[in-house]
Amino acid sequence: MSSRKGRKEAARVVREQMARERRRKRTLWASVAAIAVLVVAGLIGWSVWSGQRSGEVTVPTGANGDGTGIVAGSGPVTVDIYEDFLCPACKQFDESVGPTVDRLISEGKVRVVYHPVAYLNRFSTTQYSTRSSAASGCAAENGRFREYAKRLFAAQPAEGGTGLSDDQLADLAAEVGMDRNGFAACLRDGTFKPWTDRVTDEASRAGITGTPTVLVNGEELAERSPEGLTAAVEAAGR
Amino acid sequence: MIMTAMPTRSDRWTTLRPWLGLAARLGLAAVWLLAGASKVGDLAASGRAVNAYQILPYDVAVVVGAALPFVELALGVLLLLGLATRLVAGVSTALLVVFVAGIVSAWSRGLAIDCGCFGTGGELAAGQSPSYLPEILRDLGFLALAGFLITWPRTPVSVDAALAGDPTVEDDDE
Repeated sequence: MSSRKGRKEAARVVREQMARERRRKRTLWASVAAIAVLVVAGLIGWSVWSGQRSGEVTVPTGANGDGTGIVAGSGPVTVDIYEDFLCPACKQFDESVGPTVDRLISEGKVRVVYHPVAYLNRFSTTQYSTRSSAASGCAAENGRFREYAKRLFAAQPAEGGTGLSDDQLADLAAEVGMDRNGFAACLRDGTFKPWTDRVTDEASRAGITGTPTVLVNGEELAERSPEGLTAAVEAAGR
Repeated sequence: MIMTAMPTRSDRWTTLRPWLGLAARLGLAAVWLLAGASKVGDLAASGRAVNAYQILPYDVAVVVGAALPFVELALGVLLLLGLATRLVAGVSTALLVVFVAGIVSAWSRGLAIDCGCFGTGGELAAGQSPSYLPEILRDLGFLALAGFLITWPRTPVSVDAALAGDPTVEDDDE
């Protein structure tokens, strides 16, 4: 009687142990599968991104040595201007301080490097920041970067919309004296989109997190006004 | 003679808990799927958003930024399926803690950035100011969901429950 009870008890213990063992195995394999899924997902992301990075970059005429911006002037003080054609503060900066920049260039005091970054693509439905920056590359190729950039700011679309169409971008080019067909082809072929990616990536690498950002000999300009820029350039040139 | 016993507090908790767990699991799954989907379209921007925190070197930040959206999507799918729920909730917790730490660090260093939590951030549009506190509070809410799932990983309608066969038995070793 008591020995039968004992056998029953022993069998129950064995059953429980086997069940626990099965559970442990199940949990182990589920964990291995989950971790494998996560690792593979990360690797997919890495390889997709590597594939997206364009190997060949066509740099427009008038760019600086490392191809991260368009140069104007040849003065002793270097001014880097990071701007996105969709950014309202950049338009404001261009309108209020642009004439001072032009004057400093013509007086031979500064060498300006314009970096048309595409930071604000998420604020348009058509990647307007990238398209307008690549368009400014087409203009640079024609030696009209500055004139075209001014037109882009003057015609700046609102954030959150579709931005200007490629047709409208070509119209602006014609207005500043460029061949409309050639310009439209440059946009259509996406000739300078890889360049825009490079300009943007290198700006990010340089720690530029907002637009407009203005550097005078590498130092960020705190007061983005005509007086502020003039003073900073004079201080740097001394 | 009254035979019906009033349901006790713990009875109610026992019936309710699996469904709360299911809600937590699906809620956290939605968070990851949305977060991943909003970033996956522009991996370069995702990398810039990571770089904007100025914590990792640029070359590391862009790789992390590229891998992150896919890992987030995978976490969402695993939670949706309910596979290895406790482990996935643990990974979610670790990731959320890193995010909160990143935001706190950006805040304390006075960086003006968009957290890039949903959609690729990094840079703020003009006139936008950073909203660090709401972002941290939101992440703490997500952490609470993950914490629930770590404590009680067994939820109905999950691969875990299907594998176990008996969804009412809570494994202690899972």
